[in-house]
Amino acid sequence: MPDIAQITQSVASIKAAFEEHRYICSDQIATAVYLAFHLRKPILIEGPPGVGKTELAKTTSELFALPLIRLQCYEGLDEAKAIYEWKYGKQLLYTQVLKETLEEVLQGAKGFKESVTRLHEFGDIFFSEEFLEPRPLLKALKEENGCVLLIDEVDKSDHEFESLLLEILSDFQVSIPEIGTVKASREPPMVFLTSNNTREISDALKRRCLHLYIPFPDLDLEQKIIHARVPKIPPELRRQMVAFIQELRELDLKKVPAISETIDWARTLLLLHADSLDPDLVRGTLNVILKFQEDIVNVQGEISAITSKVKTAKR
Amino acid sequence: MERTLANFIQVLRNAEVRVSPAETLDAMTTLELVGYADRKFLKHSLALVLPKTVDEKVAYDAAFDQFFRFEEVNNKALQNDSSSSNDDGDQEGEEQQGEGNGEGGGGSAAETNPANGKRKSKSKQKGKQKPNNLQDEEEEEADLGPGPMTESTSELGKLLMANSRVELAVRMAQAGEAVNVKDIQIFTQKGLYARRMMDAMGLSELNAEISDLGESRQVPARRLGQELKRRREWLREEVRDYVERQFLLHADVSGKRLREELLRTVKLSNVEHRSFRLIQEIVYKMAKRLATMHARRKKVFKRGALNVPRTLRHNMQYDGSIFDLHWKSVKIDRPKVFAVCDVSGSVANYARFMLMFLYSLEEVMPKVRSFAFSSDLAEVTELFERNDLEDAINKTLHEYSGGSTDYGQALLDFKRMCLDDVDNRTTIIILGDARNNYGENRQLILKEMYDRAKRVIWLNPESKNAWNAGDSVMRVYGAYCHQVEECNSLMHLERVVGNLLKQASG
Repeated sequence: MPDIAQITQSVASIKAAFEEHRYICSDQIATAVYLAFHLRKPILIEGPPGVGKTELAKTTSELFALPLIRLQCYEGLDEAKAIYEWKYGKQLLYTQVLKETLEEVLQGAKGFKESVTRLHEFGDIFFSEEFLEPRPLLKALKEENGCVLLIDEVDKSDHEFESLLLEILSDFQVSIPEIGTVKASREPPMVFLTSNNTREISDALKRRCLHLYIPFPDLDLEQKIIHARVPKIPPELRRQMVAFIQELRELDLKKVPAISETIDWARTLLLLHADSLDPDLVRGTLNVILKFQEDIVNVQGEISAITSKVKTAKR
Repeated sequence: MERTLANFIQVLRNAEVRVSPAETLDAMTTLELVGYADRKFLKHSLALVLPKTVDEKVAYDAAFDQFFRFEEVNNKALQNDSSSSNDDGDQEGEEQQGEGNGEGGGGSAAETNPANGKRKSKSKQKGKQKPNNLQDEEEEEADLGPGPMTESTSELGKLLMANSRVELAVRMAQAGEAVNVKDIQIFTQKGLYARRMMDAMGLSELNAEISDLGESRQVPARRLGQELKRRREWLREEVRDYVERQFLLHADVSGKRLREELLRTVKLSNVEHRSFRLIQEIVYKMAKRLATMHARRKKVFKRGALNVPRTLRHNMQYDGSIFDLHWKSVKIDRPKVFAVCDVSGSVANYARFMLMFLYSLEEVMPKVRSFAFSSDLAEVTELFERNDLEDAINKTLHEYSGGSTDYGQALLDFKRMCLDDVDNRTTIIILGDARNNYGENRQLILKEMYDRAKRVIWLNPESKNAWNAGDSVMRVYGAYCHQVEECNSLMHLERVVGNLLKQASG
C-alpha cells in the first residue's frame, strides 16, 4: 500500500512517484495531479493524440493503488450505458413468479382498495438496488475506498451526455428517479476526462474541471520518457531519434508523430540492433512513425537532410 | 491578497480570458493551498484553474508574467517605507536579477576614496537603466562628508530626498487621479500619460532646481543636483511602471472594444483593408457565440430497428404483453445550406464576410455548399475544404470576380449544376444586389428553386431605398423568395445567420 499522504505532499514528490512508475511528466502535469487531489476536482486533459493523456489516468491509479474505472465515450452514449440500467430480465422473471403467487397475496383482501394497498407493498421492490445494474459512473461512486474514474474522449460523446456528467463532476452524485440521489462513498473518485479537441467542450463542463493541456514534450523531456520506457536503447541513438522526431513535428504533416510513436520507433530500432540513425534505416522504418502514405511520401525527400542534421547537432 | 487576485482576474478578462465567478472562487481556494511564495508553482496552479482553452493559456502566460512582476515591485516599494534606503537598494537589486545584487553588495563594502570614484564612473554608465542602484552610493557619499548637501527647495525634490516611498506612492496615485490615467485607451498614450503625471507631480520645478544647482559653484549644491537628477530618473521609471499597470488594468481592451463596436455596425463595403483582421476576429467571436447558443440543437431522428431491451422494460408495466414498441433511432443527416454569392466588384466585400461567417460556424452549421458568380457560376465548396478560410476567400474573389454581373446566367448555371440536389431540407441563401445590367432575369428558375427548397433567402447589401431603382430587379426576384433582407453590416449578418441556425435546428 503506497503512502498517499507522502506522495501528495508536494509537486516534486508526485513527480518523483510518477517517475518510479515510468511516467515522466512536466511540472505542469504534476501540479495538476496535486491540485486535483487536494481540491477534489476533476481534471479535463486536452492535447494532441498520443501525448499520454489516458496514460496519466492509468498511472495515477497505479500510483495510489486504486482501481481504474474507464468509460469510453462515443456518439450515442447515454445514461443507460454510462450510469445505470434496470435489470429488466430479472424484473420480468420476478413479475412472472409474482403472478403465480398473486392470489396468495391478495387472499382475504376485501374490495379493490385493500388489494391495491397490498400490492403497493410489493411495487417498489422492482425498482430497488437489487434490480439496478450499475454502469461505470455509478460504479465509480460506489467504490468504497475511492477509485480513479477515466472518462475517455469526452469530445466524442453528444452534447446531451456532457450535461449528464455535470452532476457527477461537481457534486459526486447521480440522481436516479426511482431511487433517489446516490452520493459518492467516503472517498470520492479522482476523475480524469480526456479530449482530443474534435469539438469544443461546453463551458459548463470546463468550469467544473481543472484544465490541463499537454503539448508535445521538448527534446529533453522526450529523451527522458524514451529512457524510462525503452531503457535499453543506446544514449546516442536515443538523442538522434528524438531529435529526428522533433524535426518531423516542424513539418507540415497530416498527422505528426506523437510520443507513443516515438516509443514504438525506439522499440523497433532496438529490435533492429541499430546504434545510430542512417537514411536507409529511417526509410525502412518510417511507417512506424508516420501513419499516412501521403506523409511518408512527403518526408521521403527530406530524410537524408534531417538525418545528417540531427547527427551533426551538438550533443 | 484577495485583492491582488481580483486585480489579476480583471487583467485576464481584459486579455480575453473568460473567467467566471465560480472559477474565481476556485482560484481563491487554489491560492489558499498554494500560496504566493513559489511563483512558478503558483503560475502552474492558476493555469489549471483559470484559462480553459489553448488560446487562453497563451494569453494567461503573458498576463501572469507581466502582472506579477509589477505586483512584486509595487508591494516591495510600499513595504519598505520604514527600512533604510540601503535596504531598498538591495531589494531593487534582487529584482534586477542577481547582477544588481552583487553590485549593491560591492558598493557597501567599498570604503576608500579611489574605489568609490571608480564605482561612480561605472555606475554612471549604467545609471540610465538602473537608477535604483545608485541609491546606496548616495549613502556612501553622505558617509564621506557629513552634511555636504544643501536642502532641496522644490516640493518634489524634498519628497525625493526624504526617501519616503509611501509618500511618493501616494503622490503618484494623486497625480494619476488628477490626469485621469484610468481613461487611457491605447498603448501609444502611455508616454503621454507618464509625462502628464510627472508634470502634475511638479516636474518643471524640479527641473528648474536641478539646472540651477548644476550651475552652482558650491560642491554640496552640485552634489544635490546630481542626486536629484538620479532620483528623477528613478521616479520616471516608477511612473512609467504605474501607467503601464493602469493601462493593463483599465485600458488595453476598452480601446479595442470601442473599435469593435464601431465595426459591427459600419457598412461592410466601407471597411478599410487594415481592419480586415479585426473584423475576422469579430466574425469569429460572433460565430462562436452563435455556435454555443445553438450547440444544443434538437436532433432529428429516423426510426430504426426495434430496441428490444427498452421495449421489454417499458412493457413490464403492462404485464409483459408487448404493445408499446420502442425503436432504435437513426440520426438524420443535417440539413444543407447552399450559399450563392455574387462576387462582382460592388458586392465582393459582403460576400467575403458572409462566407467567413458561414464557415466559421462549421461546428454547428449544417453542411454548407458555396457558389460564386459574377457572370458564370461555379462551385467553390472544394476550395474551402482544401484551403484555410482566408486563402479560400481570397482565391474565390480573385478567380470569379471578373466580368459583369449576369443573374440570369448564374441561375441557369445553378439549375444545370445542382438543382437536383436541392430538396426540402435545403436552405438557399443568395447574396447579391440584384443589379442585372438589364440582362435576362430568368426568374422562373428561381421559382423552381423556391418550390423545391425549404427556404430561399435573399440578402441584399443595398439599403432598401435603392432597391428596384435603376437596373435593380429585386422586385422580380423577391417574389420568389421566402425572405428578403437588407444585409450590410456584421450585425445584420449575425441576425440572419442566427435565424438560419434556429430554423435549421428546428
